[in-house]
Amino acid sequence: MTEFPKLSYEALTVGEEFVSDPHLVTPEDIEAYAFAVDDHHPWFSGPSPFGGPVAHPTLMANQALHLRHSKYVVHAGLHAKMEFNFLEPVRPGMRVRSRGRVIDKYERRGRQYMVTEYVTEDETGQALVRGQFTQMLIPEGTRHAGR
Amino acid sequence: MPVAEAIAKGHELPSLTKELSQRRIDVYSGVRPRSIHTDEDWAREKGFRTTLAQGMMSTAYVSEMMTRLLGAGFVKGGTISMAFIKPVYAGDRLTVHGVVKATRPEGAGTRVVVEVWCQNQHGEKTAVGTASGLAP
Repeated sequence: MTEFPKLSYEALTVGEEFVSDPHLVTPEDIEAYAFAVDDHHPWFSGPSPFGGPVAHPTLMANQALHLRHSKYVVHAGLHAKMEFNFLEPVRPGMRVRSRGRVIDKYERRGRQYMVTEYVTEDETGQALVRGQFTQMLIPEGTRHAGR
Repeated sequence: MPVAEAIAKGHELPSLTKELSQRRIDVYSGVRPRSIHTDEDWAREKGFRTTLAQGMMSTAYVSEMMTRLLGAGFVKGGTISMAFIKPVYAGDRLTVHGVVKATRPEGAGTRVVVEVWCQNQHGEKTAVGTASGLAP
């Protein structure tokens, strides 16, 4: 049974790891994502140079970004930086999961940040996307001052 | 346009313009309470004037621009590195820009590095970074 403590800068440990549940990529996921980002490339639903439909390269980014939700209740946060390395296309029918590790946390100008490196893999363990992201924590009981 | 011209250093990529409706943000982020992306009251409580788009929507737009430039060489072998420097709000209109910054040999092809940025309807930069991919 997983417990979900509230995420705080103090609770977070550099080196701690996260793993998502597997997600079956469906044609509906790809279609919904295409609507969300208003990009209806023909490769998303028809032939592509990869032998069949492929998803938008950033389709599974939210799976990675939400990794910390697999362990913590997250009060609020802002995404500060994102890096992607697209290694293999994500295709409908794959079962993909993301794994991540906290590689840094730091405070700057009164704000708290965490840095996570991640990989998104298919069911065989083949890496599809690698990268890292930096998230700002907005502690409970505080407001973001705006940027 | 010939590939060599499209990837020449200094070449400006065709820009993209995106309208960020709340409906698109809802589909991107999934509607839930206590989310700065989909719960307006919560976003205000957290100090924002209204709901915000996820920063990653901007990376998706850059991905679209790069796929238009490089096709399969971005879908497999592409990279994006971006910093989100200003909030993007529901109702904003973003324009995505790119300028070829460098090219270098990689394997049998050429890696094309593009400086990318997004600007809102007020001309303010909201995200900046680089993207790259492989040209045949």
